[in-house]
Amino acid sequence: MIERYRGIWARRAVLDTLVRRDLRVRYARSALGYLWTIIDPLAMALIYFVVFAVIFQRPDAGHKPYFLFLLIGLLPWQWFNASINESARALVSEARLVRSTNLPRELWVIRVVIAKGVEFLLSLPVLVAFAVVYIVLGDTTLNWRLILFPVGLVLQFVLLTGIGLLLAPATVLADDTIRVVRIVLRMLFYGTPIIYSLNVAPEWLQRLLWFNPLSGILELYRAGFFPTPLELAPLVTSVLISVGLLAWGAVAFARMERAVLKEI
Amino acid sequence: MVRLPEEPSARAGNVIDVHGLGIEFYRSRRRKLSLREMVLRRENTSSKETFWALKDISFSVGPGEAVGLVGSNGGGKSTLLKAIAGVLLPDEGRVTVSGGVAPLIELTGGFLGELTARENVMLAAGLHGLSKEAIEERFDSIVDFAGPQVRQGLDMPFRHFSSGMQVRLGFALITTLDEPIVLVDEVLAVGDKHFREKCYERMESLLAEGRTLFLVSHSEPDLRRFCTRGLYLQGGTLAADGSMDEILDLYNGTTG
Repeated sequence: MIERYRGIWARRAVLDTLVRRDLRVRYARSALGYLWTIIDPLAMALIYFVVFAVIFQRPDAGHKPYFLFLLIGLLPWQWFNASINESARALVSEARLVRSTNLPRELWVIRVVIAKGVEFLLSLPVLVAFAVVYIVLGDTTLNWRLILFPVGLVLQFVLLTGIGLLLAPATVLADDTIRVVRIVLRMLFYGTPIIYSLNVAPEWLQRLLWFNPLSGILELYRAGFFPTPLELAPLVTSVLISVGLLAWGAVAFARMERAVLKEI
Repeated sequence: MVRLPEEPSARAGNVIDVHGLGIEFYRSRRRKLSLREMVLRRENTSSKETFWALKDISFSVGPGEAVGLVGSNGGGKSTLLKAIAGVLLPDEGRVTVSGGVAPLIELTGGFLGELTARENVMLAAGLHGLSKEAIEERFDSIVDFAGPQVRQGLDMPFRHFSSGMQVRLGFALITTLDEPIVLVDEVLAVGDKHFREKCYERMESLLAEGRTLFLVSHSEPDLRRFCTRGLYLQGGTLAADGSMDEILDLYNGTTG
């Protein structure tokens, strides 16, 4: 097993080429390429803001300022959503390359997670811009827990790789996987504390939400922007589940590889 | 299995070592499970019928050998080649290949229609393991080998190339790789007569460099020209292993 990953590390130049190509295709093709990456979360943040803060008049659904709260939740969600959708199809959409080269096949999944991760990083200036605005307005102050932001990033990377390694071969072997994934993702959006914060939900629901690894990850992202104390329980479960999924994904992928190669 | 008198004994330092190899396939194409069916009817409704494309194959190839694989259609030749290339994994036994492989199998497999030819060469060469510097060094020689038409169309989307041009570029690229083992699935030479001669010349020079060749072919002239040793695959099992001439006689004798 270790050899497999050493093999991937040895081929990191190929990974680099593939990711760069993906980014070039994404950003260089259309003039609005970069804008599209930030328009979606901005627009969604605006919509949810209007719905919850203005119409329902519950701006306390999340930390204040609510718009910033939404943005910090929606940008990582975009990485999550795009990564899961595309890594599930990673082997199917690159079937020709997968079956005519002898590259370690996990590479195709990792490439998606990294490429979407880079897009996430490139969308962060928007977050910075709004944070600055709110700081200037006096509605926010940053705190030292901002160093937890990169920790959240690493943890999300671990989580996404694990899920990708599970879904990619499953999609090859079972047609319906993609459809199930899409539905689950839609439900998961509401089952994740993106448009609301954890402590706003009723107690019993909070405990359930702890088992969503994204809860902990979002806590890490938000920690530096809001004074609310960290919820530790979701953090612990998030780490355990993310690492567990990575381990499971690694093993399952290796096991399914043989069948996948015959199917592709 | 018939072991003919000229069979070279297995030496240490073998480049390809195949031992008890078996690969099994499902018969029906609709092997794909459906989650829906699995959940509702608690069973996998696709047929469970399987067949062994390869069964109990064992042989070794030493460095610099030129091996020809013959057999009638459906005998498992491509499957064996793919197992050596690492693109199919064994269900039984093992395949040990020491050193990299230059696969002349799916010549245009590494290319993508929407990229330009130039980008495709950079990408495909990278996917096959060449470093950036190496690609840049060899870029011109790859394109020149493929021909002036390719040179002119370098910045066109690749899908605008004719299939002949695509295949010539693929051949040029893969035969530039440094890998010590060359696997060929029938496509020893492509294109018009002139280009085919270039292909043969390149093959000869690769062999002269000491590379190991593993050729699947139905073409007797090709096999006799390049291979010294032959393997005869029949119905997924290794029927004979000996010199190319003997194997060809056997093959011809069987099929008449």
